[in-house]
Order: sequence, then structure tokens, then C-alpha cells
Amino acid sequence: MSRRLSWAGLLPALTGGIMVLVLHWLVFFYVPTEAAQGLIQRIFYIHVPAAWVAFMAFGIVALCSAVYLWLGDERLDMAAVSAAEGGMIFTTIVLLTGPLWGRVAWGTWWTWEPRLTFTLLLWFIYLGYFMVRSATESPERGRRFAAVLGIVGAVDIPLIHLSVVWFRSLHPQPVVLKPEGPTLPPEMLLTLMLGFVSFTLLFFGMTHFRYGLERTRIEAAGRESRDGGIEP
Amino acid sequence: MHRKLIRACVPYALVTLLFAGVSAPLGAQDIQTQELGRAYWHVFAAYAIAWVVILGWIVSVARRLARVEARLND
Repeated sequence: MSRRLSWAGLLPALTGGIMVLVLHWLVFFYVPTEAAQGLIQRIFYIHVPAAWVAFMAFGIVALCSAVYLWLGDERLDMAAVSAAEGGMIFTTIVLLTGPLWGRVAWGTWWTWEPRLTFTLLLWFIYLGYFMVRSATESPERGRRFAAVLGIVGAVDIPLIHLSVVWFRSLHPQPVVLKPEGPTLPPEMLLTLMLGFVSFTLLFFGMTHFRYGLERTRIEAAGRESRDGGIEP
Repeated sequence: MHRKLIRACVPYALVTLLFAGVSAPLGAQDIQTQELGRAYWHVFAAYAIAWVVILGWIVSVARRLARVEARLND
């Protein structure tokens, strides 16, 4: 077993994994079928939690990046890049499950409506985040450019959430995050909340391992640099 | 590694198909007009894709970590 695997990462990852299995049971056996959309609405219980985790991940990226630019602590950059990878993974899930839902509910795989467009933009911004890191000659410079992109990219998150309020959209109005509270039936709300918690735990567990990877990589690069005069 | 992944995915696919089959009558009763065959397939595909992406991420992080640790130990 890798010495980077610790209970701090394993515990949330395993708990999250087990909770995802329980989530599957709730989705297929417990939660009632939605009256208007039918069976296809069950995609909601992975699509929305994945979107939540993606937004949270990119929020962490922006926060860590801002403090990294301020203090210059490399650990914050490592945390930012680890969270950004998780954010990309969960945004990919959102972008792949959404069209599967949309094809049945709207009759189309993709349409350039505001929320879809802003979400795709978010994915590309964070793809750019990774490209910028490796595109500069100086790793330090790449990290700083990426940090700026990480902060700018987070501006897209409120745009995605509020796009259904500000613009005409095929997406429904918010059903959970609204001033008067959630308007979902209790069974649906419980299943959704379990989705939020399980995906969040899975994200934090995996981000912990990804942070360990980044730390080991820098350690290895530093050692190689000392031993053979190679650029880290 | 790929064989292990496939071996891990096959039971999941079977269980998900079973779940979809068991919950099928609920959808059929409630929704008269929906193309149910397509809906089942899309729900299955969405959950399978989510699993594949997450498992792929886990495998990718584990492999990269093992590679860097081997580099560090050399």
C-alpha cells in the first residue's frame, strides 16, 4: 500500500463510496417516479450532486489560488490543482449525463441555452487551467497564470446557477437553493441530499489522494533536480 | 488492470440492469406517453458513465501515484 494512502483520505472516500451504493438503492427502489418527466428524471440524483461538487471544487480552486497569489505557499497551489482535477471529473459527469436526460426530456442532446453554454465554458476554463500550468517555461510562472485563471473561472459558477433566473432557459427554476426553501417532495429531497453528501465525501477523499500525488511529484522533482541538476 | 476494471464493471452493469427492470412497472404506470425503452437506456447509460468516469479517475490517480513513488524510490 502506498505510504500516501492515509485514513484521512480513505475514510471519506470509502464512506462516500458506500453512500453512493445506498443512493442507487434509493434512486431505483425508494424514490417515487416524477409525474411530468417519468423515469428519466432519475438522472437528477447524480446530475445535480455532480454539479454541486464541481461548483464546490472550483470554489476551492479560486479560494486556494487567491491565497496562493497572496502568500506564495506552494501547498495552496497543490490543493488548488487537486481540487481542479476533481472539479473537471464532476463537470464531465454533468456534461455527459445532462444530454442523456435532455434527449428524452427536451428531444435534443444539446442546445445552446445559457446554463449548458456556461457549464461547457466552465469545463473549458479549467481545461485551460491545466494547459497553462504546463505551457510556460517556468513552473512558478505557470502556477501563477493558472491561479489567475482559477479565480476568473469561478466567476462562471454564479452565472450557471442564476442563468435560469436571468435568461430564458430550458432548465427548470431552482428547486433546492431558493429563498423560500426546497420545494421537492421529502423522498426526493432525502435522495438528493444523500447524493450531495456521498459525492462530496468521495470528492474530498479523492482530492486528498490527488494532493498526496502532487506533493510526491514535487518531492521527486526536487530530488532529481538536486541529484542531477534537472529542472523541477 | 483493464481486465480487473472490466470484471468490476460487469456485476455493476448487471445489477443496474436488474434495478432498472424491477423499477420498470412504476414508470410505465405513471407515464403513459414517454418512450420508456429509451428512458431506461438513458438512465442506465447516465449511471454507468458516472461510475466509469469516477473509477477511471481513481485508477488514474493510483497509477500516477505508484509511478511517482517508484521514481522517488529509485
